[in-house]
Amino acid sequence: MNRTIKYITFLLGLALMVACTDLGEEVYDKLPKDTFGNTPEQLNAIIGPAYKSLKRLQPYDSAWGMSGMTSDAMIAPTRLGGDWWDGGMYMEQTMHTWDARSYSVQTLWDNCTAGLTAVNAVYSIVETNDLLSPELKARYLGELRGLRAFWYYQLIDYFGNVPLVTDFKDTSLPSITPREQVYQFIVDELNEIIPVLRDDVSDESYGKFTQGAARTLLAKMYLNAEEWTGTPNWSGVIEQCEEIKKLGYSLTADWTANFTVHNESSREIILPICFSATDGGNSIHLYTLHYLDPIALGFKAATWNGICGVPDFVKAFDDADSRKEATFLIGPMIDPSTGEVLMTTANRPLNHTVDLNIVPGTEKRDAAGNLTGWGEVNQEDGARIKKWQFERGMANTDMENDVAIFRLADVYLMEAEALVRLGRAVEALPLVNEIRQRAFGNTQHNYNVLTLEDVYRERRFELAYEFTERQDMIRFGTFLQPKFMKPYVTESYRKLLPIPFTAWQKNNKLTQNPGYPGF
Amino acid sequence: MPGADITTVAPQDIESISILKDASAAAIYGSRSAGGVILITTKRGTANQPKISYTGAVGISSLANKPMLMSSTKWREYTSTTPGKDGSSFDMGANTDWFDAITRTGVQQDHNISLSGGGTRNNYRGSVSMLQRNGIARDNSMERYNARLQFTQWSADNKLKIDLTGAATLTDNSPTNTRNFVLAYNMIPVRPIKLDDGSWYDTREYDQGNPVRNQAENTYENKINNFYGTANVTYTPVEGLDLKVLLTKSRNNEDYSEYRSIGSEAGYNDGGFALRSGNITDRDLSEWTANYSRQFGDHKLNLLGGYSWEQQVYAAHSGQTRGYITDLLGPNDLASGRNIHVGDATSARNKSRLISFYGRLNYNFSERYVLTATVRHDGSSKFGKNHKWGTFPSISAGWNISEEPFMQNTAWVNDLKLRIGYGVTGNQSGLDPYKTLELFGSDGLYYDNGAWLPAYSISQNANPDLKWEQTAMLNIGLDVALFANRLNAKLEWYDKKTSDMLYTYPVPTPPYLMDEIMANVGDMDNKGLELTLGYAAIQHPDFNWDISVNLSHNRNRITKLSNAIYTTDRILLGGVFIRGGSSTTHVLEVGRPIGQFYGLRSEGLDADGKYIFVDQNDDGEISDPADLDYIGDAQPDLLYGINNAFRYKQFDLSVFLRGSIGNDILNAPRMAFAQSGFLPGTNALDDPLTYQLQETTPRYSSFYIENGSYLRLDNLSLGYRFNDRILNGARLYFTAQNVFVITGYKGLDPEVPIDDNSGLTPGIEPREFYPKARTFALGISVNF
Repeated sequence: MNRTIKYITFLLGLALMVACTDLGEEVYDKLPKDTFGNTPEQLNAIIGPAYKSLKRLQPYDSAWGMSGMTSDAMIAPTRLGGDWWDGGMYMEQTMHTWDARSYSVQTLWDNCTAGLTAVNAVYSIVETNDLLSPELKARYLGELRGLRAFWYYQLIDYFGNVPLVTDFKDTSLPSITPREQVYQFIVDELNEIIPVLRDDVSDESYGKFTQGAARTLLAKMYLNAEEWTGTPNWSGVIEQCEEIKKLGYSLTADWTANFTVHNESSREIILPICFSATDGGNSIHLYTLHYLDPIALGFKAATWNGICGVPDFVKAFDDADSRKEATFLIGPMIDPSTGEVLMTTANRPLNHTVDLNIVPGTEKRDAAGNLTGWGEVNQEDGARIKKWQFERGMANTDMENDVAIFRLADVYLMEAEALVRLGRAVEALPLVNEIRQRAFGNTQHNYNVLTLEDVYRERRFELAYEFTERQDMIRFGTFLQPKFMKPYVTESYRKLLPIPFTAWQKNNKLTQNPGYPGF
Repeated sequence: MPGADITTVAPQDIESISILKDASAAAIYGSRSAGGVILITTKRGTANQPKISYTGAVGISSLANKPMLMSSTKWREYTSTTPGKDGSSFDMGANTDWFDAITRTGVQQDHNISLSGGGTRNNYRGSVSMLQRNGIARDNSMERYNARLQFTQWSADNKLKIDLTGAATLTDNSPTNTRNFVLAYNMIPVRPIKLDDGSWYDTREYDQGNPVRNQAENTYENKINNFYGTANVTYTPVEGLDLKVLLTKSRNNEDYSEYRSIGSEAGYNDGGFALRSGNITDRDLSEWTANYSRQFGDHKLNLLGGYSWEQQVYAAHSGQTRGYITDLLGPNDLASGRNIHVGDATSARNKSRLISFYGRLNYNFSERYVLTATVRHDGSSKFGKNHKWGTFPSISAGWNISEEPFMQNTAWVNDLKLRIGYGVTGNQSGLDPYKTLELFGSDGLYYDNGAWLPAYSISQNANPDLKWEQTAMLNIGLDVALFANRLNAKLEWYDKKTSDMLYTYPVPTPPYLMDEIMANVGDMDNKGLELTLGYAAIQHPDFNWDISVNLSHNRNRITKLSNAIYTTDRILLGGVFIRGGSSTTHVLEVGRPIGQFYGLRSEGLDADGKYIFVDQNDDGEISDPADLDYIGDAQPDLLYGINNAFRYKQFDLSVFLRGSIGNDILNAPRMAFAQSGFLPGTNALDDPLTYQLQETTPRYSSFYIENGSYLRLDNLSLGYRFNDRILNGARLYFTAQNVFVITGYKGLDPEVPIDDNSGLTPGIEPREFYPKARTFALGISVNF
């Protein structure tokens, strides 16, 4: 009996160590929603990602590349040996032969919608926050609505008819809203938030969605009103540009100050994408430079040798225009330790030519066997894009340079364009000439008489590779016309990109844009 | 010990392995058994003279099959005679076989010593093993040490039994970097491994680089320690009542080092890259059971009730840097790396729990009729607040027909049993914790007034309705033993329905924040038949021949892909990398199996070397999706295994063949590399297709889907047992593995890995496929 008691006590003792039905989860490496966001510092940390979402514009397979390569300014030629062929992805963008399954279309859609939902998520958190003063809360919510309006602006620019979702909590599947309605939503949002946004132009307001940013975006909406809704609103553009000029922005004396490594001191930049070398995101050097270029330029990077300026575009620059030399990397690349030209692995001198010469025998044919006009070029061909300064001494990091989405020079040219279109070209002269003066360093290239064509060309030279090419070409009617590598006229329905197939796969309430095969 | 890692048990310590597949038998093991149970019983000591045994073997492995790429001669011939493919600027005069350069004949050895014994009240067994293996890839090697000690003690009155087991496993593992196989496919054979001055040749072309340099200069090392201890106490206060407590504590920790050199293909992107990381998993398990058995005449009753509690805590950390100026330090001085990015230093920790209550009733009437009923109530911390618990019943009945009075005169029937069972088990393994919660996670930095500050964002689409995945299985089986047990057979039919499958479902953004969410969506059905046959063909004092055959046929179908919130009837998935032309390969569709290939149907090449595709809708155009079709099924129609065991006097021989019929495989390397599009800059397979194909880019279609049926001689073992007088009955043996495989499949091997897409896109041979090895080993086992 004693032993029985002993053994049972022994077992019961063990039983006390453990006996429970508690299945609650303790989280250690993440923050449950109700434990975070309770101090101003934490709240700012939550709002940060809404601004970070702008980084999604930059990759070569997102807006930066889509705008550049579908226009006549940027191209990713296939290199001898097959590099950058990638199934014809870039050829499609240049030759306007994309479809709903194209990788570039899908990636652009994914990036824009991800940016949009990131902003929506932050909005839904700030909306319910009671810590902030009503003034500050109104301003933060205003900034977030501004960012959201910006993403919708991108979406209707590229895709036209998109799902309009403004509530992160509602997870029902949205269907397509026509472009005109989303347009009106954007315009209404911007007009409502402008009064509560900050209007200072300082280190504190750099990178934020200020009144300047909102008005520039509104000006862009009015600028494209005719193309996007059928009803022009050129006077709206002029009105907004005049308001922006009253704020504290000013053209930098040196044009290159907008593209330097530490360009956050530029007061010409109205809305930038802020990049940090350690947090990544700006990889322009990787996209455009040849594998050996970093040796000549004084830094280390494993570059991809892809993107170049289109020869016709490079040649359109006037040689006296300082922007030409500042935008393009052309000519032989010298090894600083030997003084000799670097040699590529194909044993040819590394000399960046402007022309892209197709190597005989590499011409690509389509499924029916016809020549497409596309082919392979030598590794070293093509003018590279050095507009954003390459930092000497970089060691395998991304670039620190911020990239401006909106800057004052664009505002000047938008106002000039609207004035010319309304028959007031004389008033537009000083705006364009101030830009040209800065670019040429003297007044000898100023205009005496301004035509719409002149404003179009000035936009191309001033804002090369700054997300504007495709939108400008569509508005000025040159997007569908033949260009380098595309000898035919593009079908007009291609002014809109197709809704990607993968988006429809996840949401079958979406409908395809006109002209493209239905889902 | 439930859920143990199979590598912690040395093969020499295994007494027996049994596989439990029907729901009723597995039910007692709970939610971890939804996919079946492999039960390993380790050897125990016996009350005897102490026994010491030694087993040792040495062996070699060699590459069983290597891709047939163009040799340097063939490449030169092709590039000099084909227009547009002039290779003179690429030719460096070398003759390199890249696959040979990165593989070798591997050597291995293993040794085991065990000691066991006992007395009338106790027994013990201890063993130590060492295993050392050099793989056929030059940078692949492993060393593993196992130590295990088991001790059992009964009390004087035999009412208390205490079982203690402790085991430790130490592993040093260098896995191979499979990217080197991709490089070996692409690198042209006319480039050297080293230049004339002894330095490495290297290139930065797309998907190319020197794989031999990668292997020589880079290190990937994993050190894994696994310790566990188990105490099993059984107390029998009165006869028929057993009270048992099982306590287990285990700790697994891994320490990983990686270094990629400044100049190698793997490291030049970062200018040299070093990583040191580690993780610890602590598992605590306790199980309490009370078992009562009683016999009333012909009726035998057994009642079991139990409670089990398990907790797992996982913690990990990692630090990495880049930008080195010397390779000499390797991964051992992270402070030297000059480039640290946001996110290079990380740590993580999570905890999860599994609690169960279970009861089982077992009723047996005169050994003829058996009934078992089990109920489990399982709870997991990983599910949503209202769905943490699930109740899973199962019931099975058996009829020992051979024990019936009317069967007593049928002497040639030794055993005839009919079984039927039905059970439901829950599953949550493989699910990460915290999926139901709304959480903020760190999201890099954001810019504010001249400073970069930490940002936080919502880290996942939370799903508070996440709940148990359920599998309901009905099985009927027949066991037969005839002719004095010379012939035995087991036939089993089953129907297994899995519902509310846990899957990371793609969702649209907007309105969701992230593009995927873990949800319970989808139902799947598996129906099949399994037959196991054993026949003692020849039984003679000097010569025995035993044959055993097992056949299994399974039919898998997806029965539902939607739930109340998410609807779809098909998901296209899978991806195969064709340089510049990737596409999806499989479809998940209601009414079709997992592993359904979906794409264009091809009828070969035409005279111009272009694909001929079938125009399914006769519209004169080959378009996607209109002309897509179901072009293959990765699931086999039949799996089989045949074992022949012979014994002649002191010699024994066993030959094990196994194979599969009816499974299709996508030969992705052939699709990617049997084409001339990237010649002369990149190599291609020396396959007639390379010269015939005139398309600019290969295209996924049934053209590349091949029948993967095969027959493999998997294991051959020949042994000689010495007389008891010589070396105490020691046995000398020779084994061979993967001796040959007979198949029509043109790729490297018809057994391709299950993908890393949660097993939803099987049947693809990837470019990074680690070729199979053929192994021969010689060993001896001795008792003292």
